[in-house]
Amino acid sequence: MLRSVLLKSLRDQRRALLWWGTGLVALAVFTLLFYPSFRDMGSEMQKLAERMPEELLLLFAGESKDMTSPEGFLNSQLFVLMVPLLFMVFAIGMGSGAIAGEEERGTLELLLSNPVPRWRVAWEKFAATVLAVAILAFVFWVGLEVTSVGVGMEAGAGRMAEATLSAVLLALAFGALALAVGCATGSRGLSIGVSSAVGVAAYFLNALAPVVEVLQPYRKVSPFYYYMGADPLANGLNLVHASVLIGLVVVLLAAALITFERRDLAT
Amino acid sequence: MSETVILAEGLTKFYGKQRGVVGLDMEVLQGEVFGFLGPNGAGKTTTIRLCLDFIRPTSGRVAVFGMDARQHACQVHMRTGYLPGDLSLYGNLTGGELLTYASHLRGGVDWGFVHDLATRLECNLSRPIRALSHGNRQKIGLIHAMMHGPELLVLDEPTSGLDPLMQQEFYRLVAELKAAGRTVFLSSHIMPEVERVCDRVGIIRDGELVVVESVQALKARALRHLEIHFSATVPPEVFSGIPGVRDVAVEDSVLRCTIVGTLDPVIKAAARFEVVNVISREPSLEEVFLAYYDRGDADAP
Ligand SMILES: Nc1ncnc2c1ncn2[C@@H]1O[C@H](COP(=O)(O)OP(=O)(O)OP(=O)(O)O)[C@@H](O)[C@H]1O
Ligand SMILES: [Mg+2]
Repeated sequence: MLRSVLLKSLRDQRRALLWWGTGLVALAVFTLLFYPSFRDMGSEMQKLAERMPEELLLLFAGESKDMTSPEGFLNSQLFVLMVPLLFMVFAIGMGSGAIAGEEERGTLELLLSNPVPRWRVAWEKFAATVLAVAILAFVFWVGLEVTSVGVGMEAGAGRMAEATLSAVLLALAFGALALAVGCATGSRGLSIGVSSAVGVAAYFLNALAPVVEVLQPYRKVSPFYYYMGADPLANGLNLVHASVLIGLVVVLLAAALITFERRDLAT
Repeated sequence: MSETVILAEGLTKFYGKQRGVVGLDMEVLQGEVFGFLGPNGAGKTTTIRLCLDFIRPTSGRVAVFGMDARQHACQVHMRTGYLPGDLSLYGNLTGGELLTYASHLRGGVDWGFVHDLATRLECNLSRPIRALSHGNRQKIGLIHAMMHGPELLVLDEPTSGLDPLMQQEFYRLVAELKAAGRTVFLSSHIMPEVERVCDRVGIIRDGELVVVESVQALKARALRHLEIHFSATVPPEVFSGIPGVRDVAVEDSVLRCTIVGTLDPVIKAAARFEVVNVISREPSLEEVFLAYYDRGDADAP
């Protein structure tokens, strides 16, 4: 595991991956275990939901109208907020730690005194972030799939995988943002702060745009729109939307590599 | 004529308004041990980090092995071993794991040699780095710099934290590297250390290179404080007349003076009396500078 920057970065995440993986599986299992009782309450749940202010519903349950259908349930309980939030926190943590974290700990100079170009170090560390998020997503999806079969929920393994993949792409966009801010400034705190703030703003923008008129024209600026806007759980992964997220990752990654190459390392 | 390994031309670095180094012209030749001497904040670390492309010059340039440090950073790093002045290592790895990582990044090293180094420096490679003392971490940093047998070693205060025995071992290592034709560029605060291991010395102060000189020339002008205790009072005139001797003061039976260059005439003169004790003190860095500035004056050698 010490053969390359990529493998070492993954190795450093061993413990984190173990705990995050366990947590995500638990989240999948325990959420789905509630599904049968949720479904049986059926119409009452629906009535309760209809009495809530629309803004609140949009914020915490998304646009699904029928919360007792498998898709409505999964979206409102997991995919609107919880899953993207957790994936993003992990990706931002790794993205900000990649360069800025190592720089603040003072180990970056020693690493770069070896014959590896700066861009390659940043690139391999981002690749490690991609792999780590993918591992977590896979574990989470397995938890979802197994439990959904167990509780007799028919959502389709393929659709759940597509929704999870969409969340991975969203998280990686924010991971790349965290990497870029860290690469440009060398400050881990700034990197986490900026990415989280942008993440929260993007979430609210996308969630409230349907009911807040002034936000409406800007909804498509939010990465969350490209994550959930086309409801991947119901309709499958929207390739155009996925491409927008991938494009965002590529642009931010390029910005990270270029800014890192140009600046002085902090002492 | 040996080749130039490091060539700095008008090298200037400002951190915003803060001065790093200013207009540094310097040459380190192949096969020599070059010492970089200066007080805190003089600009030693700044110069070293410019050589390795961790920071970029405000103006001027620095070339290593004839290659621009910026354009060819990777090739320079390939042929160079570096010890940071402010060493931080991965605390969660053991020394051995850290060196394994570095060896993979370098495409392999001779492990027999690495273990040799570890044995000579009495360095335990199997303990987690976070559990090591400062000096023992420094040893791992030294091995990391030397493990691939680089043509050039750039060492920022290499002996900081090493006990006297390990310092001696380090001096021996440097002597061996020199014998093998390697080039060593090291920074230090300590005049005797530089005198001991270096061929040439660059003295830097307030970001400017004051002088570059061979160690012999520096020694010839080196300042030393001497204190001789006699069994009876001695006449000061005996000593104040000797060339290179200054600040002669006799208090009861104790003579204090400052000597530039060799001690020999003073010792010979003292031998006429009964000597109880001789105490010699190395000059501080500041005094070394003063000695340098005095060169133009009357008592130049
Ligand atoms: N990252 C930085 N930002 C601002 N100023 C800096 C930075 N690094 C160094 N300096 C300044 O540059 C000057 C030279 O510092 P440098 O670290 O090169 O000195 P040095 O000779 O290595 O000192 P020491 O013997 O204490 O290690 C100092 O005045 C220092 O305050
Ligand atoms: Mg220094």
